[in-house]
Amino acid sequence: MVATDEELVARSMDGDVDSFNQLVLRWERPIYALAYRVIGRDEDARDVAQETFLRAFRALPGFKGQAKFSSWLYRIALNLCRDWIRRKKRTPVVDMPEGVDVAELAAEQGPVESIEDLVARHEMSRIVAAGMKLLPEEQRTAIVLKEYHGLTFQEIADLQGCPLSTVKTRLYQGLTVLRRHLESQGMTREEFKK
Amino acid sequence: MFRCDDKQTLISYVYGEIDHDTRQAVDAHLASCHACAAEVTALGDVRSDIGLWVPPDVELDFTIVKKSQLPASNVLRPARWWTAVPAWAQAAAAILVLAAGAGIANLRVTSTAEGFSVSTGWMTPAVSAPAVGEANGPRVAGTSDELKVQLAALEQKLREEIRSTREQDTRAAARTTVDEATIRRVQQLIAASEQRNERELAMRFVEFTRDMNMQRRADLQNIGRGMVNYEDQLQRQRQTINNLIRVSATPQP
Repeated sequence: MVATDEELVARSMDGDVDSFNQLVLRWERPIYALAYRVIGRDEDARDVAQETFLRAFRALPGFKGQAKFSSWLYRIALNLCRDWIRRKKRTPVVDMPEGVDVAELAAEQGPVESIEDLVARHEMSRIVAAGMKLLPEEQRTAIVLKEYHGLTFQEIADLQGCPLSTVKTRLYQGLTVLRRHLESQGMTREEFKK
Repeated sequence: MFRCDDKQTLISYVYGEIDHDTRQAVDAHLASCHACAAEVTALGDVRSDIGLWVPPDVELDFTIVKKSQLPASNVLRPARWWTAVPAWAQAAAAILVLAAGAGIANLRVTSTAEGFSVSTGWMTPAVSAPAVGEANGPRVAGTSDELKVQLAALEQKLREEIRSTREQDTRAAARTTVDEATIRRVQQLIAASEQRNERELAMRFVEFTRDMNMQRRADLQNIGRGMVNYEDQLQRQRQTINNLIRVSATPQP
């Protein structure tokens, strides 16, 4: 039987490092993906993810369990991302990592996908990444949390420290900008389906 | 009642976080408002496209390690160092302990024609004269000073042996740790390099295919344009020939 986050947190607070490492194993990829999509750099996203777990481990005695463990991790990671963006004072770079996507996408799609489809998917991914780069940090973060991590409006509002209505506005504006960007690139859904 | 400018309700509808009554109101509005219906469809398509952006599949393997769990590469003494001491040295140590005990007790072992006799310094000798012992057989135990010198030499030799054994073990342990770390690192580098090469090859293959396709399309377009030009020329030639035939057929005055 798989232990829940809450059970593992309780054991970790009793000094069981292995339990905390199970939590790390469970959440390292979502946290890395969050950092990567917010700040857009592989190496820095790794650093942010690693630092997130270190801080969580150190702050574990102060974790009272009011929020979910994952929400707590997301909050730490987002604060680190925000620090990174402020410290670097630069727009996130969301270029596709060199030479990664095609092979991975091919593996994901299986042998039935033609090379043309593969290229189109790769191109689409690159265009989406470039579109995300255009968004202000708050809109981008709201979209990332909603689309890739499935958080509710309320959870995003709690993480971003803003009203529910602001989250909805950020999502609507962000999606609208992305929509225009995709249309300007001539990559409509119908074209991709061809 | 849903209005077209109520974007917050619209986004709630798109994400499905909406109560039943409001959903019905939006559904009713979308049935009659093509602009809002198109916007909902477009936002849904954008959401699908967003799903195509995947982060790189990197190896993370973060692990929290307690200080006490760190590898003991800096511990110089093997845990069971005494097991590395040679058997002869262990026997010598046992003799040393025995001899030291005998020295403290001032033990004397004498061999006479009547047999061996053992006595301590605090006991009255069973056989009276040392001269008898010297005359009748070899004396096994030396004097106290000789014994002390021998013991000191033996102890010194034993200490040196143990020290050299420890140093050898420490060096061997350090070398083994370094070697393992190096091998692990080299293996990681080789694996990373192979992965990089595979990805690069895949990328180049995709680029090559894309270039080929573009070239093929360009060639087809050129061929198409050439065919059109050729047909135009053919048409003009036909017209010229027809004109010539017509002119030649006309009776000259």
